[in-house]
Amino acid sequence: MEILQNLGLGLATAAEPVNLLFCFIGVLLGTLIGVLPGIGPTATIAMLLPITFGFEPATSLIMLSGIYYGAQYGGSTTAILINLPGESSSAVTAIDGYQMAKQGRAGPALATAALGSFFAGSVATVLIALFAPPLTEVALKFGPAEYFSLLMLGLVASVALAHGSVIKALGMIVIGLLLGLIGSDVNTGAQRFTMGFLELADGVNFVAVAVGVFGIAEILRNLEDESDREVMVKKVTGLFPSKEDFKAAWAPVVRGTALGSILGILPGGGAVLSSFAAYTVEKRISKTPERFGKGAIEGVAAPEAANNAGAQTSFIPMLTLGIPANPVMALMIGAMIIQGIQPGPNVAVEKPELFWGVIASMWIGNLMLVLLNLPLIGLWVRLLTVPYTVLFPAILAFCCIGVYSVNSNAFDLYAVAAFGLLGYVLVKLECEPAPLLLGFVLGPMLEENLRRAMTISRGDPTVFFTRPLSAGLLIVAVLVLVVVFLPSVRKKRDEVFQEE
Amino acid sequence: MFKSLAAAVAAFGVLTGSAVAETYPSRVITMIVPFSAGGPTDTVSRLVAEAMSKDLGQQIVIENVGGAGGTLGAGRVAKADPDGYTLLLHHIGMSTSATLYRKLPYDTLNAFDYVGLVTDVPMTIVARANFEPADMKALVEYAKANKDKVTYANAGIGAASHLCGMLFMSKIETPLTTVPYKGTGPAMTDLVGGQVDLMCDQTTNTTNQIKGGKIKAYATTTKERLAALPNVPTAAEGGLTDFEVGIWHGVYAPKGTSPEIIAKLSASLQKALKDPNVVKRFADLGTVPSSEADATPEALKAKLTSEIARWAPVIKAAGVYAD
Amino acid sequence: MQINTRDAAAGVIFIVIAGLFALGTQELTIGSALRMGPGYFPLVLAGVLGFIGFVTLFKAVGKAQSPMTGVPWRGLILILGAPVVFGLTLRGLGLAAATALVVAISAYASRRATFVMAASLTVGLTIFCVVVFSYGLGLPVQRIGPWLTF
Repeated sequence: MEILQNLGLGLATAAEPVNLLFCFIGVLLGTLIGVLPGIGPTATIAMLLPITFGFEPATSLIMLSGIYYGAQYGGSTTAILINLPGESSSAVTAIDGYQMAKQGRAGPALATAALGSFFAGSVATVLIALFAPPLTEVALKFGPAEYFSLLMLGLVASVALAHGSVIKALGMIVIGLLLGLIGSDVNTGAQRFTMGFLELADGVNFVAVAVGVFGIAEILRNLEDESDREVMVKKVTGLFPSKEDFKAAWAPVVRGTALGSILGILPGGGAVLSSFAAYTVEKRISKTPERFGKGAIEGVAAPEAANNAGAQTSFIPMLTLGIPANPVMALMIGAMIIQGIQPGPNVAVEKPELFWGVIASMWIGNLMLVLLNLPLIGLWVRLLTVPYTVLFPAILAFCCIGVYSVNSNAFDLYAVAAFGLLGYVLVKLECEPAPLLLGFVLGPMLEENLRRAMTISRGDPTVFFTRPLSAGLLIVAVLVLVVVFLPSVRKKRDEVFQEE
Repeated sequence: MFKSLAAAVAAFGVLTGSAVAETYPSRVITMIVPFSAGGPTDTVSRLVAEAMSKDLGQQIVIENVGGAGGTLGAGRVAKADPDGYTLLLHHIGMSTSATLYRKLPYDTLNAFDYVGLVTDVPMTIVARANFEPADMKALVEYAKANKDKVTYANAGIGAASHLCGMLFMSKIETPLTTVPYKGTGPAMTDLVGGQVDLMCDQTTNTTNQIKGGKIKAYATTTKERLAALPNVPTAAEGGLTDFEVGIWHGVYAPKGTSPEIIAKLSASLQKALKDPNVVKRFADLGTVPSSEADATPEALKAKLTSEIARWAPVIKAAGVYAD
Repeated sequence: MQINTRDAAAGVIFIVIAGLFALGTQELTIGSALRMGPGYFPLVLAGVLGFIGFVTLFKAVGKAQSPMTGVPWRGLILILGAPVVFGLTLRGLGLAAATALVVAISAYASRRATFVMAASLTVGLTIFCVVVFSYGLGLPVQRIGPWLTF
């Protein structure tokens, strides 16, 4: 009953007219800025942060959360429309979403993403309201050994991202892992592969890599043959998902929500894995896995749901412990401090109206997002009919400004050019960028947790097997490997992956 | 071309300095914070910048130039035009990077003019909630007896927790197993989760975890007990003398800024540090604004010089460098 | 015997990248599996990548050629040049002029570019970006940079 009371208090706070208004403004601004290519949620929030300083604490946090979902949704929109993910999680959405857009089905893809996200967001909100404190306890059981095992599982499973040659996809993952290691070594401070550039000490900027290997490479590919590129898509069929689409998408949405909710709780970046994991699961259990990578609606529905659920549940460690799980949460914590609220284990007790108000507003924010975006789909889709010669200079200009805004550093723009070239060469050789991006995000986490676990265990490698959670995850990883390489399933797998 | 242009601009700035100072500030001032948005230093900067904006009648915008332990942002300011429109707010890292980085692109003591100290955030020695030792004395004994078993978390090379840890280990003359993290967030997560044993970090990061009972506090690194944590003894009370460490913050301008502008900025900083909102928010963070005597160019210069001298031997003894 | 040049090239690139990273670990401490130095993990990965490269190369032999499309050289140079020019000029020229340069350069990457279109795109997008990013979002970059003020 206490939960109902709390939720009531939260809804009352969130439904105050001023909070509703700023929730809406946040969602709207987030969507509009997030939809600009090259500008993901982190950059959007960082830029909009100062606007909220003048507000009441609850209003300010509600608006910031609104900006966050809005920006995330906007990022998925650019992933689908122009193959440019604004953050690692929408890199997966780009795979099938962009193919759908090319086939004139951008409308259904966007609508599926919106509805799937809303469903996932609603479920995750309830989850947070009911179980936030116990879930936090579970998340804290995850030490370095568990993270390492989880990441191994993620890597093994990610081969499913490939829709061409498996071996080349593996190569791309490893290149991504290596690129992710550029920068100072966390353990010793040694500079690795930085060629003397201090700008690389904290690693290569993610946005620069994403814009390079996805955005620039895609523009160049489109410039190869301009004759049929007068407009991106000539005919757009139907803005909304058909009955068949709904039938195909609902189960992936549910599974994606479940996966995303669980992984999002882990403060060490589990949310990153959620959309990749959801995509992998769908491709594995699909009866027609060969459709993936060619515009399968499940490939949009599942990762989008997972992504949004994970984004939502990643609020749990922030709200219950005051510990940021990702850069966006770090910004939220900064905002709280500036507002005079001390984020920490006591927020729920000391400021219940704020704690529950933010949780309730998540649901309201998601509802607004869906109401706002369904009508906007028509507008976004019409963007595709803009002549490409007009579209790509705009994409490039936004990307340049977006990349610069992350660190205010011109070096990152040179990195865009370098990764654009690399990305284009690799695309020419039919190597896909999504696995590279996954490796890039996971590489440093994998190494850090491996070495950290070994440091804590004083060089005893059995720690990965003696800790039950870690052992369980490794067993699953081995099982996945066996399934992939066992001779009996091998033929089927070859059908799945090697359609050359 | 850049360099000569910048030099020309710099010369121009010096020549016209006093004339400009009367009308200063006539446009938006950029305050570079060499860390990412949302962190403790960023928060301090935004609070101070807001109060100074009110006083100067011109907006001060924060530009986060993160990377390489704050040296990228500091380097940017070192090369900026000394016209008073580019400032730097940096913390203790300004002094430690002089030793941690063997190839800095600027000369720490000669590339900047000083505006004043902002605040000195205290540190706390903390451990996982169920760590055995009962108090500071017991902790030191336990650490010495189990030096192979005790793990110390830090938030990366050059971070406050890294510096405090080095100092702690050199004080108790016992090297512990150091477990580095990328940032305070993950390090704190693992401390709360009981994956590592010890950490020493700013009150900004620890106060609420201590109050919530998620971690155990052994000592503060201050002369007197903190108002926010009255039950936590000082390090000296626990038998650890000369263990006063604070994450001090200062505002700098590029070398060659006209003295009039510096004076104007200093006066504005002193006013800002008395702003009730700043005082209150700083108190929430577990710290107090620097006194009027400390928020001066002389005090900051003296602090930077003495801190460089203090940390150089500690860092060299630990043999850890960031490049 | 036929060789699929595309796969072969991918294999060679993998091997080259692996080689470069392996070379980069030369100056790093490698350590052992139990006490890993900063060079250990990258060296292992470079080894794996090299192996994958050889497998890719091996599998390319005997595989049929697949059609290749041409490279848009003009577009390649202009599109890759645009962000570099933006980075070099942003702090000097300011947001407005640097954005205008990016748009103007990239507009000519298309073979269908005409002067009228490039000019109108440049003006329109520059105004849009300055309004949105500088006035709207307060991006801390001068609108008109120091190179243009005297």
